[in-house]
Amino acid sequence: MISKAVIQELINELGKDNVISTPEDLLVLGYDATPGLHHRPDIVVYPTSTEKVQAALQIARKQGFPVTPRGSGSGLSGGSIPVKGGMVLCLNRMNNILEIDEENLTVTAQAGVITLDLANAVLAKGLFYPPDPASQKISTIGGNVMEDAGGLRCLKYGVTGDYVMALKCVLPDGSTITTGGKSVKDVAGYSFKDLLISSEGTLAIITEITLRLIPPPQTNQTMLAYFDNIETAGKAVSEIIAAKIIPSTMEIMDKTTINCVEDYVKIGLPREIAALLLIEVDGHPAVVAEESAGVQKVLKQVKATEIHIAANKEEALGLATARRMALSAMARVSPSTLMEDATVPRSYMAQTFAEIEHLAAKYNLIVGTFGHAGDGNLHPTVLCDERDTDQMKRAHAFFDDLYTKVLEWGGTVSGEHGIGIAKREYLARQVGSGGVAVMKRIKTAFDPDGILNPGKIFFDDQEF
Amino acid sequence: MIEQEKFGNFTHQDAPKYEDILQCMRCGFCLPTCPTFSLTGRERSSPRGRVALARAVGEGKMEFNQAMKEEAFFCLDCRACTTACPSGVQAGSLMEMCRAQVSQQHPLPKWQTGFRNFVLTKMLPNPDLMETSMLPARLYQQLGIQWLVRYSKLLKLGPKWIDKAEGMMPELHQPLRQNIPQFSPATGEKRGTVGFFLGCVMTLMYAEVSRQTIKVLNHQGFDIITPKAQKCCGAPHMTEGDRETTRQLAQHNLDLFMDLDVDAIVTDCAGCGAALKEYEELLAEREDHTRLQQFHSKIKDISEFLVEVGVRAENLIPVNKVVTYHEPCHLCHAQGVSKQPRDLIRAIPGVEFREMKEASWCCGSAATFSLKFTEASQKILDRKLHHVAETKADYLITANPGCHLQLAWGLREADMPQPVLHLIELLGEATPDH
Repeated sequence: MISKAVIQELINELGKDNVISTPEDLLVLGYDATPGLHHRPDIVVYPTSTEKVQAALQIARKQGFPVTPRGSGSGLSGGSIPVKGGMVLCLNRMNNILEIDEENLTVTAQAGVITLDLANAVLAKGLFYPPDPASQKISTIGGNVMEDAGGLRCLKYGVTGDYVMALKCVLPDGSTITTGGKSVKDVAGYSFKDLLISSEGTLAIITEITLRLIPPPQTNQTMLAYFDNIETAGKAVSEIIAAKIIPSTMEIMDKTTINCVEDYVKIGLPREIAALLLIEVDGHPAVVAEESAGVQKVLKQVKATEIHIAANKEEALGLATARRMALSAMARVSPSTLMEDATVPRSYMAQTFAEIEHLAAKYNLIVGTFGHAGDGNLHPTVLCDERDTDQMKRAHAFFDDLYTKVLEWGGTVSGEHGIGIAKREYLARQVGSGGVAVMKRIKTAFDPDGILNPGKIFFDDQEF
Repeated sequence: MIEQEKFGNFTHQDAPKYEDILQCMRCGFCLPTCPTFSLTGRERSSPRGRVALARAVGEGKMEFNQAMKEEAFFCLDCRACTTACPSGVQAGSLMEMCRAQVSQQHPLPKWQTGFRNFVLTKMLPNPDLMETSMLPARLYQQLGIQWLVRYSKLLKLGPKWIDKAEGMMPELHQPLRQNIPQFSPATGEKRGTVGFFLGCVMTLMYAEVSRQTIKVLNHQGFDIITPKAQKCCGAPHMTEGDRETTRQLAQHNLDLFMDLDVDAIVTDCAGCGAALKEYEELLAEREDHTRLQQFHSKIKDISEFLVEVGVRAENLIPVNKVVTYHEPCHLCHAQGVSKQPRDLIRAIPGVEFREMKEASWCCGSAATFSLKFTEASQKILDRKLHHVAETKADYLITANPGCHLQLAWGLREADMPQPVLHLIELLGEATPDH
């Protein structure tokens, strides 16, 4: 419990509307989009500036309670759940775009700006911010940096972290640091910004972000390819890359996913096929024409059963939207969905699909798989009911086995969702005890009292 | 009474279902579409937050407390979240259920319940009583505004609501129900027969619009049967949490219209259309499933119907106006009818259609919301008016009496030049008088 005096102190610093302590408000700020996880915070604050973040952190440190940063709560690994109670620090009222610098091609924004709002604002100036996580309509840019969010365009354009040029952060002691800048090159000392990217709010609270922008592609072409078995789809992915074509998007959906999506959006996807690839090439019109022809040639060679070219922008957008709906469409048909984020080197795609199929049968589960095929980043999703404990056990065993294989193939336990609470054990398997030990030392260097987002990424010592 | 297994701190009767709540995976896609969340920035005033509160009540982690009650009524029930929700969560319907819980778990003092019940169970369901009992100041009383004045404290109406309520009243005509023939024949080549469901608010406040609906349908080649015995669709009762009266009204209207030999049952009120389409779910426990499906498949909003059968445009008179369209929540979100009204507008010769920004964002009317939360309602309305102004349209078109009242009032207050027209009035303007 937090004393009335401390609440008053926070109100004095942050303003009455920005401090929340009523039980019902606290209840609804203790979750994100990760199934089955919830923990009620003791207090929630909505700072409106870097200075207010500093003030809140100083009070939290003095009182010794944990601080968990939160954006829109759309995370998928439990990163913003206050597992140890304490303070949730919501950044979504810091939602101003501070500057769009057309000479240096950068945008500087407060951490709580919604990703899509930022992308639209720079687009209005004729510039392009490529990372487009599926939740871009609601995710915050701060959350994207903290999880190093990906999206549908990573194959060609990279992930959020590839666009971060500078960060302004508040450290747990209330001091601020700025790391990076607008210079294209910067090798001065340790690259703190790279350390902070995907640190899941455990090292510092980011308040301002400067992102690199690029000119938008002049045109694009979207294609759909259907396959009668999923290995062929995996092969098509490798062959397209081997033909030295880097599409901006190369997304895969398996049969279960296709049927769920079609049930929902009804855009005429064939229900009987084993897999489909959604491929987009973009750039200069001449390049697009050439690459589009190249992709189609490969698709024919590997014997895709059907190739469909989007006739216009609206149709292309419809297809991309359908892909974005994949998880949600599956959520419609089952009470719970357990989605994972396994990522393998691209050449192991086909094996991964075979393994998923094998394990789904072994554990008697319905699994829909979709994901960023071009990145080797798959989202096998178990359709389940969190009230069925036996089924949940089998689901966890399924992922356990799958990750063993993924790590064997040199993959990673998280491509873009982060470790949070959900995957701490898998992380330890991936980086080993030595790796975890170094991460903990870095954590201590930034946060000696351990007040920032405790319980995330790795287990506390006492939890072992 | 529908009894079910007791779900946590909900009562047996008319409680949300656990499955419906668990369906929410908390992705947050609803947040940017929710007018009340946009207004307050408070998670508990978002669809995701409201569902989480209901879940906590159901799981016994929270009483059905004041906060749950407040959120059940602060929700506009605009259903924008239903459209946005990829997993099919019906946060609006869940909040309607919670309203039903409010009347069970937080009952009003007896004398207040008595009067409220009189209005909801005696006056509204009985059109004769509503239309004839208080003739002198027809609208003032028929809409229960006098009652609202007396019991404004009880309803927790917002500041200045009375000015607004009076300001909103349109010029009144004779209520339609008593005056139109039960049968009005098609002109030109006959294409079919439809039943006409008159909404209470339409017939009392916008009788002229409904006259236009008859004129247009006749001109389009349809015989119209308008049964006099029809009663309120039940939406006001549902909104106030009285599901039992809603069921009785639903049963009455269902039986009445299913006895008619009609191709479709048409309404020009989006709110009624949405309610009629929900009879299937509402009566699922007590009525034959096939019959419910048949009834559902016949219910059509006027624009939905006309676009489906195809508008005969050859005799239409050009209307040389620039128009924009506000989508009633109960048409686009609750019924998924969004394209048809636009198609209909475009089918009228001479009309230039200009899309406004956020056309499907609520106008802030939302049944009694605009009187209960006058300030919140005003902010939502201002956002809408701003987008209307940007279009520089001559007419603002909509298709629901609640929106109509709110928008007409807002435009007048803001000194904006556009008149508000029901979509069917626009088509009526283009339709020759026989």
